[in-house]
Amino acid sequence: MIEVRGLTMRYGELAALTDVSLDVAAGEILVVLGPSGAGKSTLLRCINRLIEPSGGEVRMAGVPTPGDRTGLRRLRSQIGMIFQDHNLVPNLSVLKNVLTGRLSHMPTWLSVLQLFTDEDVDIALECLRRVDLEARAWNRANRLSGGQQQRVGIARALAQRPRAILADEPVASLDPQSARVVLDDLHRAARDLSIAVLCNLHQVQYARDFADRIVGISAGRVVFEGTPAQLDNAALARIYPGLNSTSGGEPSSRWNADVERSSAVH
Amino acid sequence: MNPQRLRFILHRPWTARHWTKCGLVAGVTAAALFWREPYLGLSLPELVNGAPWIADLVSRMFPPNWGFLRQLGKPVLETIQIAVWGTFFSAALALPLCFLAARNMVPRWIFHTTRQFFNAARGINELIFALIFVAAVGLGPFAGVLALSLHGAGMLGKFFAEAVEEADRGPIEALRATGASATQVVTFGILPQVLPAWIAATLYRLEVNLRAATVLGMVGAGGIGFELYSSLKLFQYQDTATCVLVILAMVMSADYLSSRLRARILAT
Repeated sequence: MIEVRGLTMRYGELAALTDVSLDVAAGEILVVLGPSGAGKSTLLRCINRLIEPSGGEVRMAGVPTPGDRTGLRRLRSQIGMIFQDHNLVPNLSVLKNVLTGRLSHMPTWLSVLQLFTDEDVDIALECLRRVDLEARAWNRANRLSGGQQQRVGIARALAQRPRAILADEPVASLDPQSARVVLDDLHRAARDLSIAVLCNLHQVQYARDFADRIVGISAGRVVFEGTPAQLDNAALARIYPGLNSTSGGEPSSRWNADVERSSAVH
Repeated sequence: MNPQRLRFILHRPWTARHWTKCGLVAGVTAAALFWREPYLGLSLPELVNGAPWIADLVSRMFPPNWGFLRQLGKPVLETIQIAVWGTFFSAALALPLCFLAARNMVPRWIFHTTRQFFNAARGINELIFALIFVAAVGLGPFAGVLALSLHGAGMLGKFFAEAVEEADRGPIEALRATGASATQVVTFGILPQVLPAWIAATLYRLEVNLRAATVLGMVGAGGIGFELYSSLKLFQYQDTATCVLVILAMVMSADYLSSRLRARILAT
């Protein structure tokens, strides 16, 4: 569904991404694993062109991503996005937040008047049901807990009826229990609706449990690609370089401890 | 307890440069106060000598002429309406312009141009605008409404624009990512975030405008200020007292209502 070929992003001298290529199939969950600052967020934003890449190609369902404004809006309407800090509009109701996922499908003048079709409202409610929050539809978004807000974020992305979802560190700000629920909801929706999911994570354990495939990124380059089972210590050493410089101790146990600790810090 | 030596402590030891700067500020302030060229005629003896006259004036204001209240009904309503219309027009003017004055919404030159317009509108006092508009559209409340509208637009425009600049970027990015149009991003991403601050600023403006509207009449721009001014000119000091009390009541109730409402709105 998503094909990335030779993607490069430079900010002046700094190369944020260098020659990144990857594929995500419909219904597949691909986790991008890497330390903070490795270029994971930049990669996602280059796919829906919130950031204009310096080079390379991105194809959605075989079609190159367009550069013109209408084409760009059509592209974005097919790609849902989930953010680390959920990015809900705090003063709006939960339902209204989910309905914003329908905006690209409706005439601007109707939406400005706050008029929505029954069909759009039904879709929004159905998406809220998928994350088990239909009962909170009329609450203000900022009255919900962090985990619940992130699930509303998932519902908003699903309301777009997307072919792909980009999730940027969706559980980095959540406690472990809420994180599980959020990842489970995302997982189930992707399977049921056969959506291609590209998800950034920096916690190794979540990546192992959640991913169909893992791509490891370090300093803007792909340094690993494979199944969770293939993610061994050698692979982790490439993704998180520098962790092995601490001397002494048995390597494999040190790895997990260090990686877990580093993810707790971020 | 034995006597203690006193020490002069600032947040850090002062060097010669600090003392020079301090002396310079003191010098400029002293010059501003005591430069004799424009003779201000500040004189305590004159104030003391004048005290009986002030007492005389105040005593002539008592008791206030309550009968005059009946004639004040219309001017009071006029004052309130000038304030409401002035606030309405300033908000209507500031609403579209504020986006052009938000650093994060438009190119720099548009931002600077709009901000300069707001600065000019804000920098000139309502009474001066009122004098200009009285000359343009004649005596009466319309000139007052125009004066409050223009000055208030400058004030509200700056407030509104700053609220837009402070809006959280996250939801705006999220809406762009859904493929929403620019108008939809503003309607659903920015407006819900800034609306409480906008309403609070407008309410505060209404309160300020009511205060301003009570003196617009002195330059012939309508409202209760005209009654105050003419009663003074006609030596009807008991009528003046009534006017002053009515103005006080209006301003105080506006203060109270507006601050209560603003607290309610900003709390949600």
